[in-house]
Amino acid sequence: MAKLHCVVVTPEMTVLEEDLDFLVLPLYDGEIGLAPLHGPMIGRLGYGEMRIKQGETTTRYYVDGGFVQLVDDQVSVLTNHAIPAEKLDDEDAKSQLNAALAREAHSIEELEIRDRLESQARAKIKVAERYAESQKRF
Amino acid sequence: MANLRALQRRRKAVRNIRKITRTMELVATARFKKAMDRASAASAYTERMARLVSDLAKAGLEVSHPLLEQRDVQNNAVLLVLTSNRGLCGAYNANVQRAAFQRHQQMKEEFSNLQLEVSGKRGISAAEYRKIPITTPYTHFEDKPTFAEVETLANRYLEDFILGKLDRLEVAYTRFVSFGKQEAVIETLLPLSSIGGEEVDEEEGAGVPYEFLPSIDSILEEVVPTSFKVKLFKCFLDSAVSEQISRMLAMKRATESADKMIKSLTMQYNRARQAHITSEIIEVVGGSEALAD
Repeated sequence: MAKLHCVVVTPEMTVLEEDLDFLVLPLYDGEIGLAPLHGPMIGRLGYGEMRIKQGETTTRYYVDGGFVQLVDDQVSVLTNHAIPAEKLDDEDAKSQLNAALAREAHSIEELEIRDRLESQARAKIKVAERYAESQKRF
Repeated sequence: MANLRALQRRRKAVRNIRKITRTMELVATARFKKAMDRASAASAYTERMARLVSDLAKAGLEVSHPLLEQRDVQNNAVLLVLTSNRGLCGAYNANVQRAAFQRHQQMKEEFSNLQLEVSGKRGISAAEYRKIPITTPYTHFEDKPTFAEVETLANRYLEDFILGKLDRLEVAYTRFVSFGKQEAVIETLLPLSSIGGEEVDEEEGAGVPYEFLPSIDSILEEVVPTSFKVKLFKCFLDSAVSEQISRMLAMKRATESADKMIKSLTMQYNRARQAHITSEIIEVVGGSEALAD
């Protein structure tokens, strides 16, 4: 069976480079699932959970915006940070959320900045929670 | 003879210094390799980014974004200077400072509200010495700047730029050209001159019918700030690499000149010792001859 060759890079390092069966990415406006033989696409990533499925195992990462480019089963994921879900700091994300909510916004631009910070923090919390849940099931 | 002992002491001191400079050279070499690895890891990202941008351009993307616009009235400017926290790295800091402070003088006349931000203790003390007021000093960027640290800085600039509190951002840093060449440059990062850095032009493979999710404009909205962040990050990485190279070379030269000094001191010491022995023999011979008479 065809496999997806997936490369996840951040400005600091190449986080992951391997062949896999199925990939779920958080796009700007919802999740997308990518299987082999997908058509060429360029997408804008949002903040959220990236799931990598290889055989029976699923690995979860938090990705922090960026892009995905897919041609001929070659996936490049460019993101600012890719953090394995087990390394996410729940407390840290919550304090970021509180800080974002406490920000005053008096103009459209300031509102946008606040929204971005807020959704980033909420996504982190969600990924951490989902990871904790998935661990409970086993 | 007192001279003998002084020579010996000096030789010992030089030898100790040589040990230190040699160690520092080795440390700098190791750090340089690490910094270089980080820089090449970053280039994996920038290459992909450049390909993405060129693919977007092929799909007929009209590049227009607030971050790319030159403003007619420019009042607020920031000059960011990247120096090192530690010295003993040859002319590395002096070169950046010379370029930066010259530019600072020019910018003072152009912009009514000019802020100077300096990263690195060396640059901060140099600015203090010249009595140039620093708006924000940074000392937490060590030889391994992390993207998260640079990103917070970049986000602040982006916010200020979008809110109109900043019209121009220039960065003075040492660009890494090759192992043998690093140069102090001043680059304008905001407004951005181009996105994606070095454009990769490949004729083949043109016209892959990409599907854009959610839309090409939305992607562009994200590409521009990201490419700014990466550019700023690259400035920091280049500086780190150049610093380690400069230190490596400076320490290598120091070790070599210590070697030379040890050699010449040893020669002087041996001569002095021989002269001492000779004069002692002459004394003994002279004494015995005087008795024989």
